[in-house]
Amino acid sequence: MMTDERTLLDLCRHVVAYGERMGATAVEAQASSTSEVESNIELSQISSVNRKDLDGIAVRAFVGQRMGSAFTNIPTKKAVEEALSLALNAAKASTPDEDWTSLPKPAKYPSIGGLWHDSVADCDSARVVEFAEEYMSRAIGAEPGLMPAYGGSGAGTEHSAYANSSGIEHAERGTTAYVFLAAIAQIESGVTPAIGSYDIRRDLEFDLDWVVEDIVSMIRLCKKTAEGVTGNHTVVFHPDAYQQILFYTLIQSIRGDNVARGKSMIADKIGEAIASELVTIVDDGTIPQGVATSMADDEGVPRRRTPIIEEGVLRSFIWDSYWASKMGVESTGNANRSMRQGQVELSPSTVVVEPGRRDIADLVSEVKHGYLVRDVQGAHSSNPESGDFSIVGNPAILIEDGEMKGAVHGLMVSGNIFDLLKKVVDVAKTPLVLQGLIGPEIVCEDMKVIARE
Amino acid sequence: MFERLERAVERGRDLGASYIELRGEDGFLEFLQMDDGRVNALTQRIERGVAIRVLADGAWGFVSTGKVDDLDGAVKEAYSMAKAAARTRKDRISLADVKAYQEVIELKVERDPRDVPIEEKIAYMEDMTKAIRDYDERITAVTVKVRTASGSKYLVTSDGARIRSPIMLVWSYPWVTGKEKGQLSAARHEDASTHRGWEHMEEVATPEQMAEQVAKRVKLQLEGVPAKGGSFPCVAGPRVIGVLAHEALGHLAEADLTVNSSFNGKLGKVVASEGVNMIDDGTQAGNLGTSRYDDEGVPSSRVEIIRDSVLTELLSNREYSAKSDLRLTGNARAESYLYPPIIRMRNTYFETGDHSFDELFEGIDFGYYLADFRGGQAQMNASFQVGIQEAYEIVDGEMGGPVRDLSISGIATDSLFKIEGISKEDFPYELGRCGKGQEAFVASGGPDIRFGKGGITFGGQA
Repeated sequence: MMTDERTLLDLCRHVVAYGERMGATAVEAQASSTSEVESNIELSQISSVNRKDLDGIAVRAFVGQRMGSAFTNIPTKKAVEEALSLALNAAKASTPDEDWTSLPKPAKYPSIGGLWHDSVADCDSARVVEFAEEYMSRAIGAEPGLMPAYGGSGAGTEHSAYANSSGIEHAERGTTAYVFLAAIAQIESGVTPAIGSYDIRRDLEFDLDWVVEDIVSMIRLCKKTAEGVTGNHTVVFHPDAYQQILFYTLIQSIRGDNVARGKSMIADKIGEAIASELVTIVDDGTIPQGVATSMADDEGVPRRRTPIIEEGVLRSFIWDSYWASKMGVESTGNANRSMRQGQVELSPSTVVVEPGRRDIADLVSEVKHGYLVRDVQGAHSSNPESGDFSIVGNPAILIEDGEMKGAVHGLMVSGNIFDLLKKVVDVAKTPLVLQGLIGPEIVCEDMKVIARE
Repeated sequence: MFERLERAVERGRDLGASYIELRGEDGFLEFLQMDDGRVNALTQRIERGVAIRVLADGAWGFVSTGKVDDLDGAVKEAYSMAKAAARTRKDRISLADVKAYQEVIELKVERDPRDVPIEEKIAYMEDMTKAIRDYDERITAVTVKVRTASGSKYLVTSDGARIRSPIMLVWSYPWVTGKEKGQLSAARHEDASTHRGWEHMEEVATPEQMAEQVAKRVKLQLEGVPAKGGSFPCVAGPRVIGVLAHEALGHLAEADLTVNSSFNGKLGKVVASEGVNMIDDGTQAGNLGTSRYDDEGVPSSRVEIIRDSVLTELLSNREYSAKSDLRLTGNARAESYLYPPIIRMRNTYFETGDHSFDELFEGIDFGYYLADFRGGQAQMNASFQVGIQEAYEIVDGEMGGPVRDLSISGIATDSLFKIEGISKEDFPYELGRCGKGQEAFVASGGPDIRFGKGGITFGGQA
């Protein structure tokens, strides 16, 4: 069903050659073919198995400094020629961009092992169902009253290729598999927050023991409720929680386009301390465990490891070729193309928060009064420009005298990301591998907490 | 397309499927993005594809394919997917009976976006960018996004449905940044129509109108005072009350979520203060979430979620109507052929009450008036959060000055009992998108509503 990466690369080459014949002064094509089988859990049972086999070829054509783009989901020469014609017509109707210079040029790609596993590519629907079923039944068996609300499992492949008129020709492939479950339990006042836990990876070696224990222990805690206290308190952020806050605030501020457009509060802070010296954050497009890891970004530029903050000091922003060229720096391989919509935007690959030295249990045991925020609501409504956020911790667990007491409903945490980064007083030692982030829990002191009245 | 889909339905029947549904799509779609006057995306695409959903042995199999000329293989695949899902089930999924409709629905628009020249669309975005920049010199960055869609979708089911419906969309979205003395502020606005063509952008979502809406909010945020954290009385305006209706309550009333939510077991019970009525109506002529049929071929309807303070009805699809003995409400919607239909809202709102606008402010020594939001999110335990991008203080019963970066939260099922007054004045709808794993265009609204202290928590930093 799927189209392999060599066939995709041939199509991309065809687009480039055809585009040049048709009068494009520069042209690029990115193609992908994904195939995924996934199972869905609904009402504590497998409700469906879905299969998606999707091909897509995105084309950008330039006439001088005018650009147009197009997309087709049909992987044939005829279809990509039609797409190229649409892109060329759009380019001719568009306005020139004086800052555009050229498409990226060939460079050496990193060698990264473990991105493809035959076991995932060969995984059939029955096996996919088994993974979800086992996760669900073990979670139900481990905690009375635990009810799977939704979730599932999946196994998929992606073949991709890229070619442009500056000479880049690149093809690669990868596999991804996951198990995911969100569960609740009835409590006197209604239901607990939905607690989700997942394992996403390149192979099928799921750590079911870990995800079951993770979800069960949190549901157990959330069955007990506790009262929050408004004031300035210590907050322990689970990586699931701070990943969302980081994404909508700090990550927006390190995007090269936002830096260039005056939309970043830290545009002029390279080399300055902007965080506690315990904070080291790297954008790593080459880390083997990362789901976003690949040899090339969506412009065919090699992925790399880019230190963002080292021991509190701001070291770099992330760049694609357009904004890097405009600002006189190198692309960091962070171009991300929305295939169907055509825009190329900057996005992080895998954000890695360097671990500290102490166990999370020890860190919690030292908190006199504080909160563990496991997940958040509303990170997306943060102010990405100023870095202000105001979220609900859901669940937020009250910690008193070093013990986790129970879930506090409707606990808000407000602040600014650049203050939060300075308030980090400890970082746990065991990183969790999430989709888009690898990192351990962090402890922040003196955070503004607002409890419901 | 119909003939192709009908042949595929026959294949599904031959295999032994208890139900098979084919949804075909043929559309022309565009996306344009302009950043500070630079065209960052100008993409056109022709999208053809088919979604195949099969019910076999009491479980679903779903396949999405762009290969519309070879549906036999996809039907077999969907059938085998359903069989794989069925092996672990303790009970069988069944579907509520439905009358099979056969109809070709035509939509007449004045200017089909497919026929509007690209140059005109670029000029629309340039005009908006200029109008926004001209509004206030402190505005530093402007991004404008435009989407259009034009085409047809086809539904054929083994129960006899045969429906062709129009695909139509014009959508406009500016995101604007302002800067003053090291302080950055941002606001966004959104407008769309699924029933009118490009004329909507010329008459309603004009560059000037969009610019005014978004730029005034950036200005107010730059001039606003920091929000306080804590619990205060407040009056939520139509755009914010709409997002509360949608996020905080509407999702709990989607039958696939209700069973795991705080609304579970509450049908027929009082869930709100006296005089509260909340509706989801898929039949409002021309509104963003309206369509004649849903993506299972069921006619859309008006659903009284809360009637006279009592939880009265839930939003359903054929599966949950059968499972939970609910009225079939026509709320199964799919973003496109890439997704199976799931239960979604359409146009969700609170009904008007009997207070005047001024009465809602009476007796509030200090509180907030919430005029517009930046995003919202709800959870199964009824916990909600909404980021507010336009708010004002209420001081001594009067509207005060603007406030910046406010965020509100609460437990919706508790907040409903803190409603103290509902305006009698009519209201405009907020037009936007909802994400539940896939996108749906929805409208939401309601009159100004006052919440007593304790109903809503404010996440300010002052």
